[in-house]
Amino acid sequence: MRIKVDKKKCSGCHLCEMVCSLFHLGVINTEKSAIRIQKDDLDSSQNIPILCNQCKEMKCLNGEEVREGFEKKRFIWDRKRAERCPFDALTVFGENAYHCDLCGGTPQCVKVCTPKALRISKSRIQFPAMSLLACLTASVASSP
Amino acid sequence: MYLLSRYYSSSLDPFSPENPLIFGAGLLTGTLGFGSRINITAKSPESGHLGDSSMGGEFGAELVKAGLSHLVITGKSKNPVYLLIRNGEIEIRDAQKLKGLDTVETQKRIRIELGDEKVRVACIGVAGENLVRYAAIRSGMKNAAGRTGMGAVMGSKNLKAVAVRGTLDIRISEPEKYLRYYLNTLKKLMETKWAQALGKFGTPLLFKYANAMGILSVRNNQLTTVGDRGHHLEAEALEPYSTGMLSCFACPAHCRHRFSIEEGRYKGTKGEGPEYASIGSFGTKLGNLDLENIIYAVELCNHYGLDTISTGSYIAWAMELYQRGIIDQERTGLPLVWGDGDSVIELIHLIANRKDFGDILAEGPFAKKVFGEPSHDYLLEVKNFPIEMTDERLAKSFALGMATSTRGACHMRSRPSLDILGLPEEVLKKIYGGSVNNNFSSYSGKGRMVWWHELLNAVSDALGVCRFLTVFSSPHALQYRQFSRLISLSTGLNLRAKDLKTIGERIYTLERMMLIKDGFSRHEDTLPERYFSEPVPEGPARGEVILREEFDKMLDEYYRLHGWNQNGVPKRTTLKRLEIDR
Repeated sequence: MRIKVDKKKCSGCHLCEMVCSLFHLGVINTEKSAIRIQKDDLDSSQNIPILCNQCKEMKCLNGEEVREGFEKKRFIWDRKRAERCPFDALTVFGENAYHCDLCGGTPQCVKVCTPKALRISKSRIQFPAMSLLACLTASVASSP
Repeated sequence: MYLLSRYYSSSLDPFSPENPLIFGAGLLTGTLGFGSRINITAKSPESGHLGDSSMGGEFGAELVKAGLSHLVITGKSKNPVYLLIRNGEIEIRDAQKLKGLDTVETQKRIRIELGDEKVRVACIGVAGENLVRYAAIRSGMKNAAGRTGMGAVMGSKNLKAVAVRGTLDIRISEPEKYLRYYLNTLKKLMETKWAQALGKFGTPLLFKYANAMGILSVRNNQLTTVGDRGHHLEAEALEPYSTGMLSCFACPAHCRHRFSIEEGRYKGTKGEGPEYASIGSFGTKLGNLDLENIIYAVELCNHYGLDTISTGSYIAWAMELYQRGIIDQERTGLPLVWGDGDSVIELIHLIANRKDFGDILAEGPFAKKVFGEPSHDYLLEVKNFPIEMTDERLAKSFALGMATSTRGACHMRSRPSLDILGLPEEVLKKIYGGSVNNNFSSYSGKGRMVWWHELLNAVSDALGVCRFLTVFSSPHALQYRQFSRLISLSTGLNLRAKDLKTIGERIYTLERMMLIKDGFSRHEDTLPERYFSEPVPEGPARGEVILREEFDKMLDEYYRLHGWNQNGVPKRTTLKRLEIDR
């Protein structure tokens, strides 16, 4: 299971970020959310929601002797894992990275996404489709 | 409003350093509070009286995230400066290089200077720098504290911008219950037809109804509909330009269009909007049905930092004076003919830069002095503040709301529109606590309606909740009960529905007391002469006019409910009850 993003539908309201921090931490802080909206609010007005793709092969855990199943259920990670993510999908704030644990099976962000930019998908992204997606993400992020 | 009331006096010059420019985020701003708005308040250089404007977008929430809810800015800088606020720390920075930049470029430059794309900026453009009396404060591509000239107050302080970045936690009193309650309330709200329509079309959906009912301003309210020709300006006509819908911070309704004009004269114009109010103000009010010209005019105003409603209104005034020969091309330098979009664009440039005839119009209602006595009646205004893109001769609750609004002519201060929905009178009685006629052209009960909505809207402004999600257009939308729960679960403050209503009374009566200081009373709670003496000449509202005797009865009821005397002055007992007698 993962959360599928249709960025064209994202209205940029930040509700997903807010409920993510609220659900996990009991506070509202859009910086401490596993989903983040990348905005181009002074030009194209395009919004891109970014969050963990729930990859089958977890490159973020490379070099660590940890149980994947356990780590998947954790929300707060060390920021080093964010640096290993090929999609730059984890939010980093301070020394922490925020990882989508799917709220234990009922993602709150999907519930508040009224334009339906976020949907629950049962499929997982696998390589090489992942590599292609990583290239696309990188080109979007670096485009002026 | 409380903060403004501490500084307010009749002798306070809006352009003086002593006039406070107040940024006030709502109590629920930054939370899941259904919009995250901020009010910007000062004595208005446009009307000369109470000034107040609410702005959406992300700026208010960012201020709260930075640990502040209010800013009170007094004084005046020698050189252009901007304020930088980061997690509670405030710095005054040089803005010399930002001088003369438009409102979007100013925000971009500040972000580049600070190396932070997430900084949110509220700023003025050239119009604010030039003290155009109806200059706006702007944030993002479209958000504006547009009304009452708050941008001109900012300009008078040599303050180009306020930049904010916040990363602090917003603590929630009962997180689990709060989230549960929020999700439940969200579901109910999004099931309303109003929220769904708003999410699809945005406020332009209102144009069709206003035109079909005959409540539009056409040619400065000489007419009130453009009939079938209105199709050119309806929400559906905007669809080809729309590239998606956007939201303000924490708003589920996403009522804002993002647009792009891909070909023709205005090719390359892109941005967000336009809203119904701007379409009306630069469209029918000026006899203009060229949608692309309207979009371009609105965008130009946004970049200059001009209020679109006031700018359109003063141009409409000038056009009627031109039509009647009170002013001529020798004075205007331009042919001010109804529907001449090119002249409108040129005038916007002249107003913002205070050049030629634009320098006169930049004075807003104070241009009456230049145009002379014959011009006065053709500026349709209330309390020295212009009537907007609508005509209120048909809908009587709106007419009263315009007359009593504390910031001068304003359809949003009360926005009493539930009687347009044709709801059974029992439903209205339950909502308003007394009889209200469900025919919008009836005067009966409308004093009660306006009073009720003024209080609710004062509270929603104080909370930062967007009007569009409150009860004005759907009886199932938010009001006191939901506000009370959201406040208690998020902040821990126990404010019952009736407590909130009392707070609404306190705010509105406090605003009223500022007007009383300016010498206002019943005499100023009135409408333009045209509304009383000229029946609507044609269209669905044909023959409609405001009858003075009936209007006075509405006012009597309205004053009684507010606890004000028959001259519109709050009674001593009311001030005491509301604890604003000191």
